[in-house]
Amino acid sequence: MKLNIRINQRFRLSPGVVVLLAFIALAFVVAMIRYINGIGAISNLNNAYPWGFWISFDLFTGVAISSGGFLMAGTVYILRIKEFQPLLRPSVLTAFLGYIMVAVALLVDLGHPERIWYMMIHWNHTSVLLEIGICVMSYLAVLAIEFAPVVFEGLKWEKWAHLIHRFIMPFVILGVVLSTLHQSSLGSLLLIQSSKLHPLWWTPILPVLFFTSAISFGLAMIILESSLSSRYFKRGLETHLLEKLARAIPVVLAIYLILKFGELAFAGDFNYLFTSGWMSVLFWSEIIVSVLIPLVWFSFRRVRQSPRGLLTGAVILLLGMIFNRFNVSWFAINHPDPITYMPLFMSPVTYFPSLPEVAVSIGIFSAGILVFGLAAKYLPVFEDEGSIHNHLA
Amino acid sequence: MSEIKQHAFLFDATRCIDCRACMVACSVENKIPMDKTRIWVSGIGIKGKFPDLESATMVYHCMHCEDPDCASACPVGAWVKRSDGPVLYDSKLCIGCRYCMNACPFGVPHYDWDKGLIDGAFIDKCSMCPQRIDIGLEPACVATCPTDALVFGERADLLKDAHARIASHPDRYIDHVYGENENGGTSYLIVSHVPFKELGLPELGPTPLKDISELIMGGTLPFAFGLTAVLSGVAAGVHAYNKNKASKEESSEVQDELPAKTEASK
Repeated sequence: MKLNIRINQRFRLSPGVVVLLAFIALAFVVAMIRYINGIGAISNLNNAYPWGFWISFDLFTGVAISSGGFLMAGTVYILRIKEFQPLLRPSVLTAFLGYIMVAVALLVDLGHPERIWYMMIHWNHTSVLLEIGICVMSYLAVLAIEFAPVVFEGLKWEKWAHLIHRFIMPFVILGVVLSTLHQSSLGSLLLIQSSKLHPLWWTPILPVLFFTSAISFGLAMIILESSLSSRYFKRGLETHLLEKLARAIPVVLAIYLILKFGELAFAGDFNYLFTSGWMSVLFWSEIIVSVLIPLVWFSFRRVRQSPRGLLTGAVILLLGMIFNRFNVSWFAINHPDPITYMPLFMSPVTYFPSLPEVAVSIGIFSAGILVFGLAAKYLPVFEDEGSIHNHLA
Repeated sequence: MSEIKQHAFLFDATRCIDCRACMVACSVENKIPMDKTRIWVSGIGIKGKFPDLESATMVYHCMHCEDPDCASACPVGAWVKRSDGPVLYDSKLCIGCRYCMNACPFGVPHYDWDKGLIDGAFIDKCSMCPQRIDIGLEPACVATCPTDALVFGERADLLKDAHARIASHPDRYIDHVYGENENGGTSYLIVSHVPFKELGLPELGPTPLKDISELIMGGTLPFAFGLTAVLSGVAAGVHAYNKNKASKEESSEVQDELPAKTEASK
């Protein structure tokens, strides 16, 4: 029998894994071309659009989908609601990998990746980007500490795992603070672009909106990753726990909706709601998919109690919120009139991501999925509720 | 010209003849390849019906804002506003994040998209020729302008001059000096006979765009400490509550049931 277990444990090159590896290799090649010949050689980024797909997808979306980590850590360690413990480790792993993916993507996007550590010594205290950089770097360290016990348990270094558990509280609190700061600061990042971002999206409360929506991102992401891994790894699904998480979603979305429309009303921007052409279409599609449908969907107990209902709702919510991040950081940003402002010989005046550009993101994402799968297979990430060690003595 | 306290340009769109000598002079002076010029000249074409034709040309420099958004946005402080006018870039500090390009409402900073790690990709833009103004010369573009469409000097004097030009030819000029108050004031002032919007200039208020994000950044640290204190308090409170409850339950010998009430608050 022991032999059987070891065979199951061995890493096997399934077709899915081969595809993921191919994507990773492709992204690696593209990244090398970028490092040798410049960002322009592989992307359509230009002087009118210095930030594009990488920032919208890898940074804005990547950070937001990783918010489950601090939500679960806060719930289990600070509020001590122990029943959510089965969701803690997968969420922390998702967050840890998510942030590593963000960091790797930024190393491709940054003009001088070898200078990224300058952020630690040259501080321009008025820069929102500095705050995000510091928070993300620190939070990566916190996540490493939060995830370390899982690795130590996998290595059978129980003593070390126990040691970290004993001193984890300050790190959990630090993690929640850092997350709150930079999840909201991603919104603050756009405040300085008030002349470019459409008034349906630009508001001084962008940081608050970003934080609120990040919570819905995190809840949906926990549901998604639990559902998918229960299918893929053929393990039980904690439907009753997910039901409780899903119960919070309509509340969070309602707060988000009130904040969003309340601010629009307060700022007197209601006139843009139907008069901004394509921008109005983008806005309403976003609101319907990211807020209205999930809000109604998750209000039904029957939906929340069915695994399929949970998964569907989480996917809709995530797609809608990702659409929000793309709108706010890309689609709704109007750069200075490029026809008169940028000479055509200097720069293209439109932007649509190139295939290699998207390939980089896909490759990094594939690596994330692959490592998640490996970690889930070889480390005690998913624990059945019965077998869970009680870390919170 | 060391007596100048605050250098500035004044561009008069009615005088520009679209000769583009400024671009050439700038490229030569600063050794910039012509396809990466720091100045760009752009015409809005010919408008109107013969014989009432009208054309205009705009010469775009860095606006050298009095309160530059790029300098506020840069995470590593690679941008500085020199007290006598120029907004300068330090390529030794730049990490290539390109946030300055997003932050600049005028879309001025541009980037070496064709340079890899070995060549080093940097931001570039007009520097107001500090190598020239420090020894009392005008910037290369101004020195070469054949029609005095571009002039250079003390900002306060140029503002007076701009208003005097408008006053002496109210029929010709639009009664506004662009850059006097835009985005908190700029060191590149513009007078024109066509609306500034048609010249591709954004409509901006008198407060710099960075004010809101700087306000929020100022509150970050107090907020962080406050939140840390609150969370520590909550953690300690919940811990004490659980301990208290557990000891009570122990005395009444009830199995440790999870606190069902606290989760409702989540």
